[in-house]
Amino acid sequence: MDSLAVQAEIAELDKVNDFVLGKLERFDCDKNTLLQIRLAVEEIFVNIASYAYAPQKGTAEIRCEILADPLRVVLQFLDSGKPFDPLAKEDADISKDGLLGRTGGLGIFLVKETMDNVAYTYEGGKNILTILKKIRG
Amino acid sequence: MQLDMTLTESGRVGTIKLNGYLDAGNAPGLDELVADAAQKYDHLVLDMEGLEYVSSAGLRIFKRAYLDMAKKKGTLSAKNVHGNVMDILEMTGFTRMFKLI
Repeated sequence: MDSLAVQAEIAELDKVNDFVLGKLERFDCDKNTLLQIRLAVEEIFVNIASYAYAPQKGTAEIRCEILADPLRVVLQFLDSGKPFDPLAKEDADISKDGLLGRTGGLGIFLVKETMDNVAYTYEGGKNILTILKKIRG
Repeated sequence: MQLDMTLTESGRVGTIKLNGYLDAGNAPGLDELVADAAQKYDHLVLDMEGLEYVSSAGLRIFKRAYLDMAKKKGTLSAKNVHGNVMDILEMTGFTRMFKLI
């Protein structure tokens, strides 16, 4: 499994995207699938950068693995910040009033909507969020 | 990622044309432009023809613009929405907030 360690800061977002999308380059994925993966990567990484260590700083690790039959990508996001299960929060309320009433939860809602599987564990002092997306077949 | 934004005005209507990828990295720049435009114009139009991607960081800007415009009885419209950006706006219910033109 390939891995990238970066400072958990929004300024590192391009580096994280380049790492993940670089791994997918040779698989001829359709554009919409790539945009959905980019979105999930951004939402999860930005959550870590914004909340995991605040007000301190820390690092995040992103692991990427491609599995065959059907072709799919598994991404893991690890941080050593405060234990936090983003999936435990209720889904964003997308009715019109709900949209206007709250700001949180949209990012993780988008991850759940666009990925085929999302799972959270806390192990060895680390938050580990794993997402899976079929990229063909 | 790269996001180009251009503001043009026609009377009381301000139009912001977006080109590229709107993500958490470049959202602060757009946030400022949109907040100023929401003060200045009665009607705000976001032209998304060249917008390929939007994340929740961008959606938060759209939402604040909607609230700013609603407060002054103006309108917020989105023009030429397509592809992945349309999917995201539909998925999150934002299509109900914008006037789509």
